[in-house]
Amino acid sequence: MSLREDGVSLYVHLPYCVRKCRYCDFNSHGYTSQDLAAHVEAILQEASLRAQDLAPQTVFFGGGTPTLLGAQHLARLLDGLEEITGFRQSAGEVTMEANPESLSAEVAAAILQGGVDRLSIGVQSLNNEVLAAYDRVHDAKEALAAYARARESGFRRINLDLIYAFPGQDPQQWVDTLHTVHELGPEHLSCYELSYEPGTSLTRLRDLGRWQEEDPERCAALFDLTREQNAAAGYHSYEVSAFAQPGEECRHNLAYWRSLDYVGLGAGAASWRQGVRSMNLAKPEDYERVMGEGRRPLAQQEETLPDMRVFDHLMMGLRLEREGVSVERMKRQCGSDAVDAILPRLHEFVARDLLRVWQDQEGQRFCTTARGLRMLDTLLQELLPDDDQLEV
Amino acid sequence: MSKNFPPERIRNFSIIAHIDHGKSTLADRFLEITGAVDTRKRQAQQLDSMDLERERGITIKAAAVSLTTMVHGEEYLLNLIDTPGHVDFAYEVEKSLQACEGALLLIDAAQGIQAQTVANASLAMEQDMTIIPVFNKVDLPHARPEEIEDELENTLVLERDLAIKCSAKTGLGVPEIIEAIVDRIPAPEGDPEAPLRALIFDAKYDEYRGIVVYLRIVDGTIRKGDMVHMLGADADYEAVELGKFTPVAVPHKQLSVGEVGYFISNIKRLEDVRVGDTMTVAKGERAAALTGYREPQPMVWCGIYPVSSGDFENLRAALNQLKLNDSSIIFEPESSDALGFGFRCGFLGLLHMEIVQERLERESGIDVVQTAPTVPYRMVMNDGEVKDIHSPGELPDPTQFQEIHEPIVTTHILVPATNIGVIMSMCSERRGKFLRQEHLSANRVMLTWDLPLAEIIFDFYDKLKSGTKGYGTMNFEEPRFEAAKLVKLRILVSGTEADALSVICHHSDTQRRGRAVLKVLRKEIPRHQFEVALQAAVGGKIVARESIRALSKNVTAKCYGGDISRKRKLLQKQKEGKKRMKNIGNVEVPQKAFLAVLSTDDS
Ligand SMILES: Nc1nc2c(ncn2[C@@H]2O[C@H](COP(=O)(O)OP(=O)(O)OP(=O)(O)O)[C@@H](O)[C@H]2O)c(=O)[nH]1
Ligand code: SF4
Ligand SMILES: [Mg+2]
Repeated sequence: MSLREDGVSLYVHLPYCVRKCRYCDFNSHGYTSQDLAAHVEAILQEASLRAQDLAPQTVFFGGGTPTLLGAQHLARLLDGLEEITGFRQSAGEVTMEANPESLSAEVAAAILQGGVDRLSIGVQSLNNEVLAAYDRVHDAKEALAAYARARESGFRRINLDLIYAFPGQDPQQWVDTLHTVHELGPEHLSCYELSYEPGTSLTRLRDLGRWQEEDPERCAALFDLTREQNAAAGYHSYEVSAFAQPGEECRHNLAYWRSLDYVGLGAGAASWRQGVRSMNLAKPEDYERVMGEGRRPLAQQEETLPDMRVFDHLMMGLRLEREGVSVERMKRQCGSDAVDAILPRLHEFVARDLLRVWQDQEGQRFCTTARGLRMLDTLLQELLPDDDQLEV
Repeated sequence: MSKNFPPERIRNFSIIAHIDHGKSTLADRFLEITGAVDTRKRQAQQLDSMDLERERGITIKAAAVSLTTMVHGEEYLLNLIDTPGHVDFAYEVEKSLQACEGALLLIDAAQGIQAQTVANASLAMEQDMTIIPVFNKVDLPHARPEEIEDELENTLVLERDLAIKCSAKTGLGVPEIIEAIVDRIPAPEGDPEAPLRALIFDAKYDEYRGIVVYLRIVDGTIRKGDMVHMLGADADYEAVELGKFTPVAVPHKQLSVGEVGYFISNIKRLEDVRVGDTMTVAKGERAAALTGYREPQPMVWCGIYPVSSGDFENLRAALNQLKLNDSSIIFEPESSDALGFGFRCGFLGLLHMEIVQERLERESGIDVVQTAPTVPYRMVMNDGEVKDIHSPGELPDPTQFQEIHEPIVTTHILVPATNIGVIMSMCSERRGKFLRQEHLSANRVMLTWDLPLAEIIFDFYDKLKSGTKGYGTMNFEEPRFEAAKLVKLRILVSGTEADALSVICHHSDTQRRGRAVLKVLRKEIPRHQFEVALQAAVGGKIVARESIRALSKNVTAKCYGGDISRKRKLLQKQKEGKKRMKNIGNVEVPQKAFLAVLSTDDS
């Protein structure tokens, strides 16, 4: 199934977690069991308001920890959404994020029944000390068991999330982890370098000098190592941190990276539709309160000017190291003038061996070279329009 | 307090002491006892009115205030000036003393006599003024007033019977101090009938009212509406408003002999008000100029540059305005390859430099980049001409001069007797010449050394503190210049010489300094897409090298639909940050790196 350029995707955010992982900067919160039912209703209410007959081409349930809702609430959510959006018919991919401790056989069965056909399991590491240092809820054994349960329940498409560059991580240990994972044979792997986001407990520890960030040289070496090992095992890299067996790319994420439209439901969820970016209120209780008043719980909305659209398109599209961005598509989305204005800059990067340019049936495309991908943020910084043009 | 006092009912005095010995706190007690401040509005260290003073808990500027109080059944006017204790602001003390007939010399009864106690007491003695020694903080359990009486006699040659014991915290002894002020400090002399003669001892810029001039009337009287003449500036102004600080400004119809107050005339021309100038009458017989103030001698110089080059003229205006309120700053325009157009500024010390930079940024809103400070040097050129230079960049080619002279200061270091050894070796390592050792009391000594200013102004004080568990203090006298074997240590960034980073240092020390500077640069300069070579060289000879490895990866691991706005803003912020950096060749160097040259530690 290929993605339609005029199609729309649906993202649903479930904001609760058992506890906060040290590196986490997602919109995740603690909860009581009463919260869950009410929250599902609030999301369905937002869906009626914003996603009636949406017929999304992909769906993604992210969090937080969606599976923590339990079979009953999840079934209610999926049935409700089906009624409103008709996703079971329209969507070519329906993914749900899962954490090992809450992915019970019961939950797996319920969501499969409800229309979910792909799972993304947060494994992160197969080393118990590392998992404990991250303050994860599960250990390695539980993670492997969860994967087995998912398979037994009948899930054909599974992604595993992994994190590398734990301080002092022995490259061999990381290779061993990858090998173990390759043998399990998930269709997709996401391998992220540990990052230090503002406001996380990890960043605080580092700033207090109680956590030593891994040396950038070693991170770069692990980045390369990850790509080599995955490629050798048949997982090709199609984005900075995403690896897939042939044809198993995550379509929902591809929609993001191709700057296709999406509607985000739930606390803190972002939407991008018809040239407008918007974001919901992040705190679950604020979200529910405003939703209760029958209004859309909007936190911010950003009208995008053509320059900024082009920039965002490149920022997302160049992450796709193979397909890159199509000049014609970009023109259709952002207008020809803004694209024509930036083309000379892109050619400069080609001359500096950071980008590659070629033709396909659609016309000209740009994508990163190996070096360009590694230096993408530096490249993007140079491409940023002047700030006064970016202010809205 | 709207009436005027005859000179015999006026006392003018400063409170002087080592830093933190309690001057501003004692001033609080005076304000309370004399009812000058509403007790409900009280806050500690009332007279520290600048934000920076309150944040840092130290006095930076001398503050004058007028109080009235009853002593022996008569009402007296006391004009008090609270002075800063930090050595960098000694010029403020010197100026304050010139407006007074006496000084309260505060000594922390636990810490005893410290370096600035000696220095400030000498300033007062040079002016032949009455000194009232006050032992403060006697409420502290480890106060040792008897021992300090010995120190007073041995070090300052002041009789122990003169000392008054007090606690500025509890108020104990404060009435005795007030009595002593009236009894011991002479009333101001001066001729009420003579033409007006007043000392301008301070000024500040007020957006709405023009420059506020602070006066001490030496002779005659000034009345509201009078036309006056500034002798040095040769300018005439009308006394639109006169008044006194109580500490709030209270308007008065006139100020006469011995009084201290302010003068407002909506003055906008900064050059018409010079601290140290004499004010007299505009018409009729004019008074002769007062001695005024000596020119301050800057101890350190650094470059101050606007971050955005369009701010150069605004920076000049801001410096001029600041100079009105802090006459010890000196500045001249200069330019640098890396930094563009800016000013070379002279300061009395590192704290002074820091405070000025912060005041500049706060009071004018201009972002500035500051280069590493250096002491001044004096060149003897081939043709015998003597030339002062204030930055390493100005150092001419070695073939063009005969000698370089560096500032040497006679330094007094007060330490516990047990620490003598450490301090002696510290001084000799720093090219010092030992002069003498004196005992203040059984346990404390004063060491006197001649030391190159460059060796002690940057980190010596910290090392002294750590070598004496915090008990050591130091003070140094005015510098004199002596020939030394000095060379320019050039710093090259990717092969480009960075004038703003070069250092003048002793020829025997180039390797150590070079390594130390490069080590800091390596930390402060962010990685680039290429390897950055750092070199320290003397002439053409490389004495140290370092390199900053190329940035090999810079890509965000995660970026999905919810991250777009945030990610874009982050990239924008990083780009902004880069704009604030200065370019040396094709290398972007952040502001902090320009201070790298200060570091002397190569370990
Ligand atoms: N225990 C005790 N503490 C005191 C006394 N007088 C002052 N202090 C404390 O000593 C510290 C310094 O007091 P300040 O009045 O700011 O000292 P200063 O001499 O004005 O300091 P600078 O202006 O920075 O030189 C403050 O924490 C005061 O509270 C006293 O009599 N007893
Ligand atoms: S499980 Fe995921 S969302 Fe929840 S705290 Fe951990 S990293 Fe954050
Ligand atoms: Mg003070």
